[in-house]
Amino acid sequence: MSDAFHALLADVVVGYSTEVKPGDVVRIETYDLATTAMVRETYAAALRAGGHPTANVVLDANDETLLKEGNDRQVEWVPPDQRWNLEHGDVWIVFDAPTNTKSLSNVDPERISRRMKARQPLQSLYLERSARGEFRWLICGLPTEASAQDAGMSLRQFEQVLHRAAFLDQDDPVEAWKRFGDRLEKVGSLLETKRELRIVGEDTDLTLRVDGRTWIRSKGLRNFPDGEVFTGPVETSVEGTIRFSFPAILRGRQAEDVRLRFEGGEVVEATARRGEDFLREMVAMDHGSRRVGEVAFGMNDAIGEFTGNVLLDEKIGGTVHLALGRSVPGTGGENESGLHWDIVCDLRDGGEVYADGELVYRDGAFLAANGGS
Amino acid sequence: MRDPRLDNLAELIAGYSLDLQEGHVYRIDGEQVTIPLAVALYAAAIRRGAHPYTKIFPSGLEELELEFASDEQLSYIPEVEQLASESLDAWTSLWGTTNTRTLTRADPDRRRLQLSTHYRMVNRRWDRISAGDLAWCGTLYPTQAHAQDAEMSLAEFEDFVHGACHTREGDDPIAHWQAMSETLTARARELEGARELRITGPDTDLTLVVEGRRWLPSDGRHNMPDGEVFTSPVETGTSGEIFFAFPSIFQGQEVENVRLGFRDGAVVDAEATSGQTYLRSLLDTDSGARVLGEVAFGLNYEIDRFTRNILFDEKIGGTMHVALGGGFDEAGAENKSDLHWDLICDLRQEGEVYADGELVWKAGSFLSEPAVERV
Repeated sequence: MSDAFHALLADVVVGYSTEVKPGDVVRIETYDLATTAMVRETYAAALRAGGHPTANVVLDANDETLLKEGNDRQVEWVPPDQRWNLEHGDVWIVFDAPTNTKSLSNVDPERISRRMKARQPLQSLYLERSARGEFRWLICGLPTEASAQDAGMSLRQFEQVLHRAAFLDQDDPVEAWKRFGDRLEKVGSLLETKRELRIVGEDTDLTLRVDGRTWIRSKGLRNFPDGEVFTGPVETSVEGTIRFSFPAILRGRQAEDVRLRFEGGEVVEATARRGEDFLREMVAMDHGSRRVGEVAFGMNDAIGEFTGNVLLDEKIGGTVHLALGRSVPGTGGENESGLHWDIVCDLRDGGEVYADGELVYRDGAFLAANGGS
Repeated sequence: MRDPRLDNLAELIAGYSLDLQEGHVYRIDGEQVTIPLAVALYAAAIRRGAHPYTKIFPSGLEELELEFASDEQLSYIPEVEQLASESLDAWTSLWGTTNTRTLTRADPDRRRLQLSTHYRMVNRRWDRISAGDLAWCGTLYPTQAHAQDAEMSLAEFEDFVHGACHTREGDDPIAHWQAMSETLTARARELEGARELRITGPDTDLTLVVEGRRWLPSDGRHNMPDGEVFTSPVETGTSGEIFFAFPSIFQGQEVENVRLGFRDGAVVDAEATSGQTYLRSLLDTDSGARVLGEVAFGLNYEIDRFTRNILFDEKIGGTMHVALGGGFDEAGAENKSDLHWDLICDLRQEGEVYADGELVWKAGSFLSEPAVERV
């Protein structure tokens, strides 16, 4: 990434996404060492905005040691700086910048599940603080060799993908995000008038109820790049089958060609062509991991192709995704779980969505009468 | 590629210096260049059942803070750091950096404010360290920048560091430091019998009063490498003159050929062949900056050369050092200052030290072995 790219992105992240104000305590985190120039730029931007930034490089190697060699108490322990940030911090900026996306591939899934479960109360706490407007967190994608490799391209090419997805190629990126927000607003308002959705596609026919729930217009404040509208479906209402066209990826582990069958809101059948053991372990994590915590429409048409990076993939214009596990506070969803696993289904080739029996979405786009462009 | 010497060093710090126990909350701080040692320490801590976590920061943040922060931001202490000061059981500072002169040209007033904030932040930690409630060890991860300062290649400097720590392949570092601890403790007990020290050497004839003060062994608990015995001299007792042949460095800035003259405990004369202005400004830090807070013998004979890094230089076997500024409570010191500046006096060629008139040290060594009490 060029210095100009860093400076531009830092301004958007600090000025638009997290709106750092004087006195805000800001925690900035990254993973890959090649991205620390971006941390410096963000740190400087946060200082200029009057905040109190700190920065931390997260070490994957330590995660591996902890999960492979740590005892239960060690795996379940939450470091005091992380706890403080989630309980009391004002702004948390995490750069999604992997050094090796598969570094935890050989870790026992039970250990991963144990850690996620132990952190569930804190996860709920910070998401509730976020929903109340007390905490602004952001996951911001950064190009790294590892993420480019997963996407099957060079680092330069992946930088271009992110650049476009983040609207940084537009004259005024913040203005572009605001205009895009208006479009999400239209779709969100439409969906809030609906009681039931039916998603139809290849090997897919799934119904779920969304009445009484709030659709969040996700326009670059908590994720960056961004572009989705999502809610938490009525927990007991999910019925039918869905086949996910894209691999389901979680912390470097993945399951391919995932098919789920739901009855009364719960997964009753889960199969995958690869990674089925991992899929089953995650689905069985706790009571809530069998339920859908989120249903969402990916709306960012500047993201065209699957890259294996869920931050981008779930925003691909023309896709829907479900998350197994925890629902997001603010949606009205009530599901609790240590898990929140977004799995993406491509609807661009023949997919349809019916709202209360009426066709509102076809081939990856809302119909013109329903907020489509 | 993993350097097995780093695993030795990590085991030494976790097992000997900090004595990490199950359930201890342990923080490792370092710049990103120190990550290989941070990772080794984290693993050593996990093996001992502790709860380690790391604070790894990108290089250059302090410089950005000096450039962009308001005075109010520069004075800010994060609540999470106060929490750490109160609650940590163990803590390691990794001092490796990518450039030792990053802040050399920073605005001195802004830098002073930044440092004073840092000292306020860690004051409570030092209280708990002194009280034995918090185990702390500072060490250096060898980097190109430190090798460059020491006028060595990185490979040579790594060998030097692991030699000084006794963490070479095949070493038994814990056994070495346990034995070193016994020797240094015995030496400290012996020195407590002395009322007055007189140091003579090239352009040096300095008398210090150490009566009633405690001598402390630096035996690898708080620093790695280590190897000195030190105390804080009686504040009003220092008189005479001392010459420092090694460059004297503070916060990355060098002062060369420092000569200090003392009367009734305070510096009355200060000269240097370069860095004279800086020397004067340091002496004017506050009222305690002209008084010695420390006198010490460097006793790590694996450290045989000057490296421009105080962690090593003050322990060079055969040297003595004194520090201008704040003294040590645990030694019985009364001098307070924001300054603590170690200056090293090479006594290896022709230095002599007399304790109450008796010659105890000549040409870089004590004349007799201390009587080690074995338990």
